[in-house]
Amino acid sequence: MNNVVTTNGLTKHYGRIRAVNDLTFGIPEKSVFGILGPNGSGKTTTLGMLLDVVNPTSGTYSWFSNLSRKENRQKIGSILETPSFYPYLSAIDNLRIIAEIKAIGYENIGEVLKLTGLYERRLSAYRTYSLGMKQRLALASALLCDPLVMILDEPTNGLDPRGIAEIRELIRTIARQGKTIILASHLLDEVQKVCSHFAVLDKGRLMYSGLVNEVSHEELRLEISADDPAELFALLKTFPGQRKVEFSGETIIITLPGHVAIGDLSRFVFEHGIVITHLLALRKSLESQFLEILNEKA
Amino acid sequence: MNRLFRIELIKIKSNASFWVLVSLHIGIILLVVLSGKVFLKSLSINGESISNMVDPASIPLYQFPDIWHNITYVAGYLKFILAIYMIISITSEITYDTLRQNIMNGMSRADFIISKLFLVLVLSLGSAVFLFLTGLIIGFLSTPDPQIHDIVKYAGFIPAYFLLLTAYLIFALLIGLLIRKTGLALGLLFLYTIIVEPIIVFRIETAWIKGLFPLKAINNLVHMPFGKYVLREVQDYVALKDIAIVIAYCILFVYCIYLLLKKRDLK
Repeated sequence: MNNVVTTNGLTKHYGRIRAVNDLTFGIPEKSVFGILGPNGSGKTTTLGMLLDVVNPTSGTYSWFSNLSRKENRQKIGSILETPSFYPYLSAIDNLRIIAEIKAIGYENIGEVLKLTGLYERRLSAYRTYSLGMKQRLALASALLCDPLVMILDEPTNGLDPRGIAEIRELIRTIARQGKTIILASHLLDEVQKVCSHFAVLDKGRLMYSGLVNEVSHEELRLEISADDPAELFALLKTFPGQRKVEFSGETIIITLPGHVAIGDLSRFVFEHGIVITHLLALRKSLESQFLEILNEKA
Repeated sequence: MNRLFRIELIKIKSNASFWVLVSLHIGIILLVVLSGKVFLKSLSINGESISNMVDPASIPLYQFPDIWHNITYVAGYLKFILAIYMIISITSEITYDTLRQNIMNGMSRADFIISKLFLVLVLSLGSAVFLFLTGLIIGFLSTPDPQIHDIVKYAGFIPAYFLLLTAYLIFALLIGLLIRKTGLALGLLFLYTIIVEPIIVFRIETAWIKGLFPLKAINNLVHMPFGKYVLREVQDYVALKDIAIVIAYCILFVYCIYLLLKKRDLK
């Protein structure tokens, strides 16, 4: 699979602070790529460099095509941190300016405003909008040019739960249309829910990069119980490849390598004359993985 | 190009400060221009020396060809009203992060500068055309027997006024981009215009060096005309040398704006 953007040793220093440090990674085409990291880890600076608004101290990056940087940016829909619009202009006028910048017509404006639920307020000045409406207008502006790539930096910041759910649904809908989405967030849950790939940044360094599914597949944790837990516990201790068996109240938690089939375990237990009364696969959350990554390398 | 022009038009169309400052500019020009007679009258009543030499009532302030020189000189003082808008326009792009967003959306830095130069052009061309029409109307109303050679004689001051305003607005653009904060930029522009450069220029003795300073060069385009009414020698033409210096400054300012925008992180 091709990368839409690759970076090579991308670095940004602000005086003595290394905001981004020697970042090399690629973002695969048609992925939903989450950039995770605590506040101040360099997510926004990285995206700023990819969008030509922050000059890298050193390192390079290249976008998908042979087009000029300006033409590439015209095909990218992007929001960085807070939505930025002319406060005294209406939603329509703000989107007209963006349409002119992206060298496209005005015909999509009504559609993206309807999609983001702002059509009724299209003639009101931007400064009269609530934070949620501002966020949605930012999303509308990112969608305006039918972009190949969308860059969203904390798109659900400041939204209420319904708004958050709507934005996530919108992101999934857009991803299904074969667009690449780059999503920076400090909300792990958000990345896990919508992303296919992710990278972890900390203090400007790349700590990890991989598939979201891989994280959950690296390790398999099962919750098991039987009529006689003690007997089951002893048996599971002898299961080949088990990493850890422990009691958790009445049930037993067994940790296995990701490649083990649950059926094998079930057959193993049954062949030794024990009937499983309860079996539940526990997904390892990105959160625990994330904390592990940060702790390991700290 | 068309698109960059349209972008600026959309921005100013519903911008309250644009309309307020443009109306003020037009209103104050009219007020000052039309107050000339009253001013002369007060001079003669107060028995100043001017009335000993010439009768104020006979001074052809509003007649062709003098009117072109007179109104462009007076209007030149009011350039700062449009400079206020220029500063607001550029600093608010920075404050509201719209400059950054525009670049992210696919403008190049050069595009952004060109769109702002369109705004400069709209303001200075608009003001020059307005002054031209005002001069034409007042001139025809005041000149007893307008002759074509009188009407065109000093009309060259109108393009000179256009250049003067263009250069000053580009200067304001540079200051606004450099300082970023509206209030501070306005303050510095005025301090420099009214105090800093005039004092430096005052301390310099050689005339041609004085003329190399940006604001002095801009003001040199239209010299003070009123001396001639008290029989003093005045420069009643636009010197090519001054035009060249001002155009050189315009190019330098635009280049500085470009460098500034290119070097700066927009965050």
